[in-house]
Amino acid sequence: MNTIEQQLWDYIDGNLDESAKKAIEEKIESDAEIKSQYEDLVKLNLSFESMDLDEPSLSFTRNVMESVALAPAPVAMKTQVDKKIIYSIGGFFVISLLALFGYVLYISNLSMPKFGFNVNLNFNVDQYITPTVLYSFLFFDLVIGLIFLDQFLRKKMHK
Amino acid sequence: MEQKLTDLALIQNVLNGETAQYALLVKRHQRFVFTLALRFSKNREDAEEIAQDCFVKAYKALGTFKQTAKFSTWLYTITYTTAMTFLRKNRLDTASIHDESTSIQLENHTSGFNANGYEKQDSHAFLNLAITHLMPDDAAIITMFYKGEQSLEEIGEALHMEPNTIKVKLHRARQRLKEKLQYLLKDEVKELL
Repeated sequence: MNTIEQQLWDYIDGNLDESAKKAIEEKIESDAEIKSQYEDLVKLNLSFESMDLDEPSLSFTRNVMESVALAPAPVAMKTQVDKKIIYSIGGFFVISLLALFGYVLYISNLSMPKFGFNVNLNFNVDQYITPTVLYSFLFFDLVIGLIFLDQFLRKKMHK
Repeated sequence: MEQKLTDLALIQNVLNGETAQYALLVKRHQRFVFTLALRFSKNREDAEEIAQDCFVKAYKALGTFKQTAKFSTWLYTITYTTAMTFLRKNRLDTASIHDESTSIQLENHTSGFNANGYEKQDSHAFLNLAITHLMPDDAAIITMFYKGEQSLEEIGEALHMEPNTIKVKLHRARQRLKEKLQYLLKDEVKELL
C-alpha cells in the first residue's frame, strides 16, 4: 500500500523520519516523473489549504445564545466536587471499617471447632447469638449502609 | 481586547459566571463547526441545526472539559457525535461519490460549467463542490486536516478512530478529491491548480 504517491504525501505532510525523508528527496531529485508528480501534489496541497469554510446564517450566534440562556450556567467540575471533602469522607469510612474489623478479630475466637457429624436438633437460638455473630451482622449492616449512602450522595450530586 | 483572549481564558470566564463570553467562543468556531456539520448533512438547514445543537451541548458540558486538550478538538468530537446522532435520527441520504445518482448530478454540473468556462476565482467553489461529493467521513477528515489545524492524533480523537486509520483515510480522501477535480475540470485541472 505504500505507493510513491503516499510517500510523497507523507513527505509533504512532514510525517517522515530523517532516513525516509532523505530517501524520498533523492527520488525526487533523480527521477523526473516523480519530481513532476511531487510538484503536482504540492500544488494540490496548496489548493486544499485554500478551501473556503461555509458561513452559517447571521442569526446563528444569537440563536445559540438564546438557547443556552435557558440552561443553567456551567460550573467547573473542580468546584462541584472538592477533592478534600471526598478524601476526608473516604478516610473516615476506611478508618471506621478497619477499626471495626480489628475489634471483631480481637474479640472473636479463631480456634477451629472439632469436625463432627452429630446433628443437633436442639434449636436453642441463644447459643448462636455470640458476640462474633453480632459483630459480623453489624459489619454487614454497615457495608449495606455505606452502599446506600454512596448511592444517595451520587443522586444528590447529579441534582 | 476580548478578541485576543485564548479559548481556555474564555472558557474560564464562562465558568466563572461571565456566560455572555460564550458568544465569543461561538463566533470564533461557528464557521468551522457549521462546515463540518455540512460535510455530514449536505444540507444547510440541517447543518445549522446540528451546529447549534453542538454549541448548546458544549455549553452544558463546559464544566467537564479537561483543559489539557484543545477546545477545538473537544468541540469537533461533539460535532461528530451530534451529526452522527442527527443522521441516524433523520436517516438522511449520505450517499458516497460512487453512487449513481450523485454521478448524474455531477455530470450536469460539468456540462454547464464547461459551456460557460471558468475564472481562476472559481477554483474554491469547485474544490468545495468536489468535497461535497466525497463520503462524509472523508470530507470531514480533509476539512479538519486543512482548515481545523488538527493533527492526525487529534482528528482520530474527534472521530473515534486510530491515527493510522485517519492517515490512510486522508490519503484515500485526497486521492478521491483529486479524481473528482479531474472529473469536474477535465484537462483544465492543472490550470486550476
